[in-house]
Amino acid sequence: MRERRFLHTIPWMQQLFIAFFYLLYLASILTPGYASAHGGVVLEDDLCVINVGFYQAHFTIFQPINTQHEQFCEDLPGTGESVFVLEYLHDGLEQLPVDFRIIRNVTGMGLFAGVNDVEALGDLDVVTEFYHPPVTEPDAFAVLHEFAEPGAFIGIVTAVHPDTDTLYTAVFPFEVGAFGLNYPLIAVGVVLGLLAVLAVSSRWRSGGATVATLCAGLLLPMTADAAEIEDVVSADGYYRVTAISRIHPLAINQMHAWELQVFDRSGQPVINANISVSGGMPAHDHGLPTDPRITRELGEGRYLLEGVKFHMRGAWELYVLIDATGRPDTATLSLEL
Amino acid sequence: MRIFLTLTALVAAIALWWWIFPPHPGWSEDELVSIQNIWLESLPALPDDPTNSVADDADAQILGHRLFFDLRMSATGTTSCATCHQPQRGFSDGLALSVAIGQTKRNAPGIAGLAWSPWLYWDGRKDSLWAQALSPLEDAVEHGGSRLMFAHLIHTDEPYRALYEKVFGPLPALDDRSRFPIAGGPLASDEGRAAWDAMDPDDQREINRLFSNLGKAIAAYERLLVHGSSRFDRYVAELMETGDSEQLAGSELRGLRLFINEANCTQCHNGPLLTNNAFHNTGLLSLPGKLPDIGRSAGLRKVRDDEFNCLGPYSDNPTVCDELVYAGSGKENVGAMKAPSLRNLADTQPYGHAGQFATLGEVLDHYNEAPDAMIGHNEAKPLDLWPWQVVDLEAFLLTLQAPLATDPSWLEPPDQ
Ligand code: HEC
Ligand code: HEC
Ligand SMILES: [Cu+2]
Repeated sequence: MRERRFLHTIPWMQQLFIAFFYLLYLASILTPGYASAHGGVVLEDDLCVINVGFYQAHFTIFQPINTQHEQFCEDLPGTGESVFVLEYLHDGLEQLPVDFRIIRNVTGMGLFAGVNDVEALGDLDVVTEFYHPPVTEPDAFAVLHEFAEPGAFIGIVTAVHPDTDTLYTAVFPFEVGAFGLNYPLIAVGVVLGLLAVLAVSSRWRSGGATVATLCAGLLLPMTADAAEIEDVVSADGYYRVTAISRIHPLAINQMHAWELQVFDRSGQPVINANISVSGGMPAHDHGLPTDPRITRELGEGRYLLEGVKFHMRGAWELYVLIDATGRPDTATLSLEL
Repeated sequence: MRIFLTLTALVAAIALWWWIFPPHPGWSEDELVSIQNIWLESLPALPDDPTNSVADDADAQILGHRLFFDLRMSATGTTSCATCHQPQRGFSDGLALSVAIGQTKRNAPGIAGLAWSPWLYWDGRKDSLWAQALSPLEDAVEHGGSRLMFAHLIHTDEPYRALYEKVFGPLPALDDRSRFPIAGGPLASDEGRAAWDAMDPDDQREINRLFSNLGKAIAAYERLLVHGSSRFDRYVAELMETGDSEQLAGSELRGLRLFINEANCTQCHNGPLLTNNAFHNTGLLSLPGKLPDIGRSAGLRKVRDDEFNCLGPYSDNPTVCDELVYAGSGKENVGAMKAPSLRNLADTQPYGHAGQFATLGEVLDHYNEAPDAMIGHNEAKPLDLWPWQVVDLEAFLLTLQAPLATDPSWLEPPDQ
């Protein structure tokens, strides 16, 4: 391979730029800011998580017209159109009807209002700013509300279990627009600022890492025929797997099948195993574009895996979970396309 | 001293120039593989569609051509497929959201080269061209018709009737209005729905069969819309033949280099049509007043439930449905859309599933930032490209422009 990444030979200037913008970002975040955590919403990594009873969901608010892609957990910088997105974690909440209500915060408890304070209000309809009736959505539930005035509000997410009539509620007070100096918020801002500094430094490091992997990539020989992966030992050593693609050479965007040959430790074919296959590209952080399945046992420990597709070049992994005689174990097959 | 300064300045200027406009250093083996991968010559032959037995039938193509441009194929007599898929606009309409009887929720894409795509629509809620063609016909904001209405049109219009019967055999006894009401269908509103529900299930199936045949004729026509060789393709052809080519200029070559390397575009826009026809979340913003689009995760549920899908009773071969059977159901489907082809982009502004971007520059700025998605996770990573690199990328994209390799008579309304 000849010289191919001219730009990567001078990455430091770019990084200087990035660092500069991070400093700007840091400055903006240190000013009394938005992201905070109170009530039923907590900050987890960079995501907000809402607890509805013992269920959880990702919860984010956007003001696409004013701040585009910027995410908020609770407090919103300005009035106007706001999109509340509840993304289910598939822990059961997605099977329940969920409703969403926003009331004006008249509890007198400010940002410390809780479920009890809301219950004490009695009839919520008189203080309701927005209401979306219960819906059951398989993946995500989004609502849109336009705040005309700044103020203090409480969001209430309720799920009702249809069998037991149990009510699960999350209550989170938040403010919309024009809030003054707020010391707890500044404290959060400072912490986030520190996190941003960390982010900058990790960015620098990962920049270096990319260059390193690149160089390694240039030195490594291309992997041999990826259409055949020989003798991979599963994580706990119970099985050995050989995989042979039914198309040679392997190609992207083509639905195809593989034959898996499964042996035990001593080299005997494993028959009647339950096998499931998942996979993806670890470097790109995504899974397979299809859900492949074992459709047939071909005898002598051979299994037909159908419905495999790779939709881009790069490093792929297939995770073959084998369960025979109560010993589940996963073999990781790596291939380069 | 003066000379030293001048020299330093000169060297710095040259270095800067070389940095911004690096000379074309030739292609590595690996790059050549990526370049050939997106070359039109690498496109496999038109794939069969076993679910449509008239997919390549000459009379079906003629019938489909007529149906595609016929304004009578709508409740108001004002809409045809070509209202939103205009041949002179790359079979799109130049609008962010399309307008017919009402306004659509998404942007109308160009429709050339779709015979190679296992999925139709941004969210892939249809799995064949023929099944797709049925949906605008009954959509209240598009053609606003109903399957009984279309059946009667074919039956009462002599040329249609003759052509239809030539391709598909005899029409049902549509004269019998007690069995076949004048309008109605399962998706129609109250009255039409009631008329449909009152029908004998066998008669319903006959109408469904007829209706699906109209889709199959339209699909036969659409399969003729195929991409032609662009300047990029000529570049690759010459490169393969002689090892060099003047077809692309400096900026376009730098754009190509970025496209297949650090801009990561070929992760999704790969293959000769510059799409892997798969679903990806690239974090587009929702339109003002609209909720973020859930995309593929809803599309997958819809296509599985569609009575006109590959496995359904109107498919001419329900045993060849691997795409549907093994369709990926992972969490990446949330907010994911089908990657569109990048050929003939100059014809299909604006861009994005809801026409979010007026220009290619806006699309590329979006990729450069790769901001958080409103729903699901943005699969693309920030590129941190310099502004002139973005210009290079755009220059490359525009080299993918070419007239369709379709006989021009198909690109105009038929003279009946
Ligand atoms: C009112 C405008 C309008 C009309 C009329 C219309 N379409 Fe479309 N078409 C659209 C829009 C908008 C989309 C994208 C919708 C989506 O993905 O949800 C689309 C999508 C498509 C697609 C899928 C493209 C892809 O990349 O997957 C095809 C094929 C298509 N239309 C063909 C037709 C045919 C055939 C007709 C006539 C029977 C028709 N359209 C009528 C607006 C229209
Ligand atoms: C992770 C997959 C992915 C990557 C990487 C990617 N794209 Fe896309 N691209 C898509 C998808 C999906 C869409 C449709 C998005 C939508 O409308 O929601 C799209 C849309 C586009 C469009 C708009 C086309 C139209 O007709 O609306 C252009 C132009 C484009 N991409 C160019 C590029 C370029 C140039 C790159 C590299 C910088 C790139 N893409 C990288 C998946 C990808
Ligand atoms: Cu990938």
